[in-house]
Amino acid sequence: MVILIIIMIAPFLWMLSTSLKSQEYILQATPQLIPDPMTTESYTQLAERIDLARTFFNSMFVAVVGTIGQLVVSAMAAYAFSRMEWRGRNTVFTLYLMTMMIPSVVLVIPQFILVRSLGWVNSYQSLIVPALFSAFGTFLLRQSFLGLPKDFEEAAFIDGANHFTIFWRIILPLSKPALATLAVFSFMGLWNAYLWPLFSARKPDVMTLPVALATLQAGPRALTEWNMVMAGAVVTVLPILIMYLLAQRWFVSGIVSSGIKG
Amino acid sequence: MSRKISLVLMLLVLVVSMVPLSAQDDVTVRYFTFSAAPDHLEDLDTIIAAFEAENEGITIEVSTAPFADYFTLLQADVVSGDAPDVFELNYESFVTYAANDTLLNISDMLTGDAPYYPRALEAFQYNDEQLALPETFSTVLLFYNADLFDEAGVDYPTAEWTWDDAVTAATAITALGDDTWGIFSPVQFWEFYKKAAQNGECEFFNEDMTESTINSEACVSTLETMISFMDSGLMPTQAELSGVSDSELFMSGKVGMLVTGIWMFGAFAEADFAWDVEIEPAMNQHAHHFFANGVAVSASTSNAEASAKWAEFLTASEVAANVRVETGWELPALDQPEYFESYLMQSPPENREAVFMALESPVTPPVIERQNEMQDTVNGLITQAVDGEITAQEALDQAKEALDGLIQ
Repeated sequence: MVILIIIMIAPFLWMLSTSLKSQEYILQATPQLIPDPMTTESYTQLAERIDLARTFFNSMFVAVVGTIGQLVVSAMAAYAFSRMEWRGRNTVFTLYLMTMMIPSVVLVIPQFILVRSLGWVNSYQSLIVPALFSAFGTFLLRQSFLGLPKDFEEAAFIDGANHFTIFWRIILPLSKPALATLAVFSFMGLWNAYLWPLFSARKPDVMTLPVALATLQAGPRALTEWNMVMAGAVVTVLPILIMYLLAQRWFVSGIVSSGIKG
Repeated sequence: MSRKISLVLMLLVLVVSMVPLSAQDDVTVRYFTFSAAPDHLEDLDTIIAAFEAENEGITIEVSTAPFADYFTLLQADVVSGDAPDVFELNYESFVTYAANDTLLNISDMLTGDAPYYPRALEAFQYNDEQLALPETFSTVLLFYNADLFDEAGVDYPTAEWTWDDAVTAATAITALGDDTWGIFSPVQFWEFYKKAAQNGECEFFNEDMTESTINSEACVSTLETMISFMDSGLMPTQAELSGVSDSELFMSGKVGMLVTGIWMFGAFAEADFAWDVEIEPAMNQHAHHFFANGVAVSASTSNAEASAKWAEFLTASEVAANVRVETGWELPALDQPEYFESYLMQSPPENREAVFMALESPVTPPVIERQNEMQDTVNGLITQAVDGEITAQEALDQAKEALDGLIQ
């Protein structure tokens, strides 16, 4: 167990350690685990090179708004697919699910053409709107909604509640763990996304962190300043780490807390 | 209600009346580059400022991408009909874009007095049309760590060296220690076609381009020579490098000789040991890379005149040439010795004449329309041969079969 923990944590420590070294110590034959001298110069350089504040804000804005949007859209779709009866429901759901089987790389060009014709290239819309519609999220929430007993909504119907009230007052509060799980997935996906933002947001004022970090990798024709790249990686990993720590209890806490006995 | 509508109308009129004012004279040329980022963005700004001062009403809007992703993005832009007005191309990808009618023929829009190297200008012609302008050129040399040569007690490389001399020196340097290597000469597509030219008898294709000859005896022996550096322990394997790049290895003072491009001069200037360059050793003859970047105007641009003007300024103006030379941002492809004087004065390396000596035996890459596929295939097979999974002969037999398919 201890060995496993070391294996898992070592790369993170190495990243942190490299980010605190100055350039000439990085490629030493005998690597230092604890940097001596320790310096934060790579962070200062990073902030100058890629406009860190702006890039960080872009990433955060896209990830937060995108996550909230995806939760809303997925939850409403999942409600329609699980709690409402309508003709062709299962066929539509199957079709929707099938889109999960299309690799996202295949969609990049058509999606890019679509976004371009909407005039959205280099805008927040191009980063957020395509992310709102997630077959995976809908599927995840639908399964969770299906597991909730019908008795609640039947009782609510009798008391005169409409679909929206049931959705908002009964289904959503009971599905918090599923919503939290989806929020974590969605946030991580949006935060780490590379290929799509690379295509659709190339201007520095809308560029997200992963894309900005890639510009630091010098390619085959120069030397990469690894301490700066690692500093960027630390900055990128932190929010995910915090997110995980905060949402962890949703993973652990009970799955359904219904008041009804089998 | 009616007041609201009239307000909206008034606003609309205001907005509409403003548009022509700003759009009438001003032209924005969108320029997409890989060579400027991340180190030369400010230098590019200097060139742009000079251009905009000379050409009122034209604004240059730059976007950049990391080299690894540049061609993916460019392809997406072109395919989706949203190509940048002006963009950089390296010589290898030029033919792919030229053959697919994505580049504008700018022959008639040039002033004609720009002093391009004739050979460089020809490189960017396709079916007798000038579809791009040569921007910069570069080559590959033998870099050596003089301190390691002194320590091993061997003479520095000379212009008369053959690869046998290099191996002798490399053996002496390798003997210095367990983590010291004599030489690093990459084993991949670009090195292979150049060493093939040094061999003299290995050609990738027959003359009329109907068949690949990459598995000829001369080619197999060339590849075997390249791999032998590694097999005899003079050069680190990928496993021994464990993620460190060849230039990082050189910078850490652990390798005696490195075959790499002159674009590394700037980065190596900070090395804490003495180093210099020499032209590459010969096999049967000398051969050196001639890498060229060009600047093309998109066939779909709506600002052809302004775009061509920018392309010419960027590649041939005195401002651009001086900025490039002074900041070590590759060399302008211009036949003007005075631009290179300050380049030759700079050091390290001392022996900058080697750059121009190398260009007396230039080799351009074999180019076909399906360039990327050729490079990927050959690189994949060479890697397998390097790893010892297949022999050099087997790798090139398979390469021939694949290349025959690609030129059909």
